[in-house]
Amino acid sequence: MSKSDAFLQAGKTAVLQNIHGTMQFLQRFPPFNQMENTHLAYLVEQCQLRFYAPGESIIRPTDGPVEHFYIVKQGRVVGERTHTGREEAQTTFEITTGECFPLAALLGERATRTEHRAAEDTFCLQLNKAAFIKLFALSDEFRDFALRGVSSLLDKVNQQVQQKAAETLGTQYSLNTRLGELAMRHPVTCSPKAALREAVRLMHEQQVGSIVVVDEHKAPLGIFTLRDLRQVVANGLENFDQAIDLHMTPGPFYLSPDHSAFDAAIAMTERHIAHVCLVKDQRLCGVVSERDLFSLQRVDLVHLARTIRHAPRLDTLINLRGEIGQLVERMLAHGASSTQITHIITQLNDHTVCRVIELVLADKGDPGVPFTWLCFGSEGRREQTLHTDQDNGILFEAKDAAQAAEIRQRLLPIAQQINHHLAACGFTLCKGNIMAGNPELCLSRGEWGRRFAAFIREATPENLLASTIYFDLRVVWGDEQGCAQLRRSMLEQVADNRLFQRMMADNALRHRPPVGRFREFVLERKGSDKATLDLKVQGLTPFVDGARLLALANGVEANNTLERLRQLVTLEVIEPLDGAAYEEAYHFIQQTRMQQHQLQTRENRPYSNRVDPDSLNQLDRRILREALRQAQRLQSSLALRYQL
Amino acid sequence: MSLLSWLLPRKKPVLGLEQQQRLLQLPTASGLSDAPLRAQRWVVVDLETSGLHLNRDQVLSIGAVVIEDGAIDLSQAFERTLLRPNSPLNPSVLLHGLGPAAIAAGSEPVDALLDFMAFVGDSPLLAFHAPFDQHMLTRALKDSLDYRLQHTFMDVAALAPMLCPQVNQREAGLDQWINHFNLQVEDRHNASADALATAELALILFSRARVQGIDSPQALQQRLNQWQRRKQVHSF
Repeated sequence: MSKSDAFLQAGKTAVLQNIHGTMQFLQRFPPFNQMENTHLAYLVEQCQLRFYAPGESIIRPTDGPVEHFYIVKQGRVVGERTHTGREEAQTTFEITTGECFPLAALLGERATRTEHRAAEDTFCLQLNKAAFIKLFALSDEFRDFALRGVSSLLDKVNQQVQQKAAETLGTQYSLNTRLGELAMRHPVTCSPKAALREAVRLMHEQQVGSIVVVDEHKAPLGIFTLRDLRQVVANGLENFDQAIDLHMTPGPFYLSPDHSAFDAAIAMTERHIAHVCLVKDQRLCGVVSERDLFSLQRVDLVHLARTIRHAPRLDTLINLRGEIGQLVERMLAHGASSTQITHIITQLNDHTVCRVIELVLADKGDPGVPFTWLCFGSEGRREQTLHTDQDNGILFEAKDAAQAAEIRQRLLPIAQQINHHLAACGFTLCKGNIMAGNPELCLSRGEWGRRFAAFIREATPENLLASTIYFDLRVVWGDEQGCAQLRRSMLEQVADNRLFQRMMADNALRHRPPVGRFREFVLERKGSDKATLDLKVQGLTPFVDGARLLALANGVEANNTLERLRQLVTLEVIEPLDGAAYEEAYHFIQQTRMQQHQLQTRENRPYSNRVDPDSLNQLDRRILREALRQAQRLQSSLALRYQL
Repeated sequence: MSLLSWLLPRKKPVLGLEQQQRLLQLPTASGLSDAPLRAQRWVVVDLETSGLHLNRDQVLSIGAVVIEDGAIDLSQAFERTLLRPNSPLNPSVLLHGLGPAAIAAGSEPVDALLDFMAFVGDSPLLAFHAPFDQHMLTRALKDSLDYRLQHTFMDVAALAPMLCPQVNQREAGLDQWINHFNLQVEDRHNASADALATAELALILFSRARVQGIDSPQALQQRLNQWQRRKQVHSF
């Protein structure tokens, strides 16, 4: 009789008794206190209980990809990281009873970056990876917890890796996935002279809904889909030996593998097609079908984006704003990351702006001069939330001052109309009047260039403030050439001007993250904001300002804060571990901020970036504190770099 | 029971066919290995008995957990209450908390013991005050199955003071050691929970042993034997 069979059943009660004890223990801590009993029992049943003596290593970077999930049952675990070039290890975090590790490494299927050691007599519950993945799939609460990256933050982890893991583990809301990653399988192809029968047999064998007809260089000539087959059969064709090129749809629509899933979704809905070819260097390299996208739950967004792009009147656009809010709410509820959400809001906002411009042009008539619609600030950085001001301008080409003035006169009424309509769509008018309808923001490329040069040359407080807004410029509508030239010249000037950089650094240190020396938050003491902190100004701004300064000083063209940080890591301006930690921290603060906004909307409260740390749960409070501490680290590295 | 009853041939227990087959299939005990401590599978056992009398009292329930690969495997655990219809109610009910109802609802001792020995396999056993558990279990197996228990027992109550000489606890009980190591023991009201506590204590002790250069079960047993001999010499 096998060992397991014999007493498996009878031993159940005993197992349950000890498991019950362990469950009771776990139920004192998140996320275990929120998990269903059956899931928690499953977790405990799959656990081993291990002891570690003080100083004993539990996991370390050299162990290779992490194979277990640990919960501290009693004792204390410290994370130690040895910095390159330094001998002694630095303690980076402490994990105590009821806390878990190493989530990020486990989700990222990589080795931990930090050595975890027992600091005292320590017992850990150890769960194997297979059971972890199963629980991840079973329990929403557990998945939520794991993805929010609790100890991942402490673990200083790269968010990208986590999102990748989320995909393999079954949740996926990302619209910015590269199409190349979605088109997993080899495309099914045939030559134009292949018999219809042969092509259909291939489709049947490969279980696909389309076949791409290619020439000898693999360039796509046409596509034949099940819909075409239906047509062929309906037409009463009897000779299935005819060549396929007589029945295919010639000149199929294609995108490059670097386009995003969102692009493909938009193309499909706009063109009423169900397949998009992926072409690189004129060679077919994949096919993405509607099903590939819809399995990723993009339906809502696709529908919304399409409706925006085709909105016949302004009223339609105004009504759609509410739907965007609902979409964001749903995505937050489903655990989408703040990065994904800001990206989606930016995309939808961009679509709205484009549609408003198109509607105004249709209404007022074409002004006869090409112009480019620019946006600045958070919109320029693609970091918009639902509550956003207008920060925009117009760029056009002119030979000289006289022509510039003349064009300006023609464009201003249109710009003002656009500003006005955007306000109706929920983009609040800018208090500082940074709007295209303002003559000072409707400039030729030469005028913009001179204005930017003045900001850099004369570092007055006003100019510094202006540079933090204008230097995050981006094109929303129109030709991108002029803006690119403007940016390149601006980057060159900043790189050459050490004094300006130093002033910007000084400016970036204005807002100190509200964490004190003794692990507490430093909160507002007076007024209606008593005992709160500002997530935007005190939490996000240090990252945004720091990333902007380093990006401008090092010729990084990206606008987005996270993208800037990533490129700065590639350029070895900041250390990869620091970059990952900043990214993680920024991400968490943004996420908290958006959750606050959603909560305020639901409770009909005015929208505010201020949060009372005591209103957060213990876990979120702790992560927030760690995140703010990362902002502090970034600031002190700036202070060191610019000797402030 | 008459005074001379020990002279009479003892009545052999009567087993069913399936029970006999199970008995025959039990693996023989293997000695302590000289492989690393971590490689050894241990069964940590705790018995509840009707009292502390070695020859008169009976095993009422068996709780056990397994240490394998250096860790307590929570998916393997054992607990049986033995059916003892004739067990008199005595004060130790207060200790083990097994009321007559629980005992009457227990498993047939033959099956429970067979289950337990299958669970043990060829692994050595660990217990707190092991000689007591060893004696009681040997007698129960002899009486119910006519089985001769040959498995090695190691006494956690002896290992603890040997490996932690700095702890000034003479004749400390399980509770004292639990307190000493600040073990968080939940729900300690049955044999398997006590076994779990003993197993946690054993994990700590194995870790201490490794630090002291004792790296195999065999070496641990030798050291324990030496220590106990020395203690006896000292006490003379």
